[in-house]
Amino acid sequence: MKTRSIRRRLIWTVIVSQAALAIGLVFTGVFYTRRQLLATLDSHLQARAMNIVALVRYPENNGKTLFFEKTLLPLGSDSQHADLFEIRADDGSIVARSSNPPLVNTSANHRFWEFSYDGVPYRAIHLRDVPVLDPEEGTPSAPSRLDVIYACPLVQMHQQIWAAGVYIALASALLLCATVCLALWGLRRNLAPLQQLAACAAEVSAHKWEFQPPAEAGSVAELAPLTEAMQTMVGRLRQSFMQEREFLGNAAHELKTPVAILKSTIQSLLQKQRTPAEYQAGLAQSLEDLERLEKLLRWMLRLARAEQWAYGTLDRQLEAIDINATCQLAIEAIRGLASAHNTTIRFHQNAATVMSRADPEDLELIWVNLLENAVRYSPDGSSVELTVGANGNNRARVTVSDAGIGISPEELPLVFKRFHRADPSRTRETGGFGLGLAIAKALVEAYGGSISAESKLGRGTRMIVELPLSDKVPD
Amino acid sequence: MRVLVVEDEHRLAENVARSLEETAGYAVDVSSDGEDGLFMAETNPYDVILLDLMLPRLPGLDVLRRLRQQKIQTPVLVLTARDEKESIVELLNAGADDYLTKPFDLGELLARTKALIRRGKGQPTPTLTIGDLEINTVNRTVHRSGRTVQLTAMEYRVLEYLAHKPRAVVSKTELLEHLYDYNWEKFSNVIEVYISGLRRKLNEGPSPQLIHTLRGQGYILQE
Repeated sequence: MKTRSIRRRLIWTVIVSQAALAIGLVFTGVFYTRRQLLATLDSHLQARAMNIVALVRYPENNGKTLFFEKTLLPLGSDSQHADLFEIRADDGSIVARSSNPPLVNTSANHRFWEFSYDGVPYRAIHLRDVPVLDPEEGTPSAPSRLDVIYACPLVQMHQQIWAAGVYIALASALLLCATVCLALWGLRRNLAPLQQLAACAAEVSAHKWEFQPPAEAGSVAELAPLTEAMQTMVGRLRQSFMQEREFLGNAAHELKTPVAILKSTIQSLLQKQRTPAEYQAGLAQSLEDLERLEKLLRWMLRLARAEQWAYGTLDRQLEAIDINATCQLAIEAIRGLASAHNTTIRFHQNAATVMSRADPEDLELIWVNLLENAVRYSPDGSSVELTVGANGNNRARVTVSDAGIGISPEELPLVFKRFHRADPSRTRETGGFGLGLAIAKALVEAYGGSISAESKLGRGTRMIVELPLSDKVPD
Repeated sequence: MRVLVVEDEHRLAENVARSLEETAGYAVDVSSDGEDGLFMAETNPYDVILLDLMLPRLPGLDVLRRLRQQKIQTPVLVLTARDEKESIVELLNAGADDYLTKPFDLGELLARTKALIRRGKGQPTPTLTIGDLEINTVNRTVHRSGRTVQLTAMEYRVLEYLAHKPRAVVSKTELLEHLYDYNWEKFSNVIEVYISGLRRKLNEGPSPQLIHTLRGQGYILQE
């Protein structure tokens, strides 16, 4: 997957927005400057036009033609490009003009217009009906009204506008650079806790579970939830890793003992020449040890599978089954052990069928494991009660009670732990591995149920299993 | 030599005991729980104790600590299914002399047991030499001046015990206690029978007497 960098994106956002801002600024600046300069130029044009009007004189000696004082013509605003002008009398005759083709107001109705002459842009003012200044007495024949056009080159103004544009653009660019640098610095500074957090998280491994987030990361509001979540996650991972490791250690330990027995049996058989009867006995013993080992393996696999279901890594299609029936099967299965212990199993069946979605073999295994424990830890001749009911909360409730030795309060929370044994010697005699209750718990949890134990030392134990009821009774 | 095996897995204990009896000629007592094992170790003079760790009633480590607290110096070989470094360090620090992890090799168990007995009695090698007498404890053969001496199992046991403590006085009671397991009826006159048998077999020819009797005290093996 392509990675995207928040930093790069933020920087780009800053650059793009700043660039847009700069462009806007340049345009506005240029527009505004032009407007201002034009206003100045226009008043300048008007003044100039009026100035040259002032140069128009009535002719002396009563002539008809107006006289223009050319010598008093002021210098133009631009040394390279001359101002252009044209003065006409109201009879259409030209009073004065700069050396150029006739100037025509192309904009018809406006006072100001722009045109290009000889490749140079000009702005012109057109004054109509301007009276000739100080008309002398007795020259009525001369025209008294003038039509004045005065044009100034725009080159300088354009240069000024350009200069203003460049200035604003440069300033914006400088500002942009400064902002980007600031943003980069700020981002680096603000993202530092994130990197520290990452470095911290990278150090967590199967050998080192300490995760102490840097104080800075915790103080950043946006990082606090992440930090907390990571801490919780590491804690949980550590716990489950430790549990797995403990299980592995226990499993190895449990496997080593039968292997040690098997190995020593065979080795001692081989240590010297023996009679066929001795070999036969030895082989029979080895087979027995091997069967024990096999059983242990089977139980461990069963547990692993049940736990896999409990953690929801396997998807199963389940049908609703009657819990009463599975209990009956379990009682059948345990009958041999029960009669060997001279224990009676009393079954208090629920009158109605109690349906739950589960694999009948799994349920049977749960009841068998619970009953087996109950029988083993009960005095001979006592009875074990198996009761099926509903807890009224849409859950089936199955209890197995015995009047056995009971479990001490300290040990009660440990009974569902894998490989936990109340008394190693006692269960070993009876062939238990300390996995029965762990398997029962994993299976019950796989079906969304719960299992708990109540016990009084010397009085007996009650195991309570609750399973979700299936709402539909099958046909 | 007399060995105590404290192991709750009956089958394993049986195999170990049988192996020690058959191939090393040791007297073996078996105990299947911690408290019983501790009692046995406190009340009988063993030459080595093989101790399992996972024991009912009293954990092996506690048995070991209590033995050492009472200054019982019998070498202890621990049989453990755990081989994590920490637990081994803990074991050795608690006073264990050696350890073996399950599943172990019976041959190795025998060799380590013999080595512990030897070290406990200050003998550097598995071949014990007293003058021209040579006792190989590995294959249990006895030679005197290069000549093989054929001994019965019990005679060998007596000689091996004496040879582990050369030049020391060994009483009849001590011999009885170290050569027979718990279930045996102990009669001191059988020792005299074995000693006289040994003397006869070791002294064929002109060689000098090696086993001497100190009246009222016991026997001494020296040149």
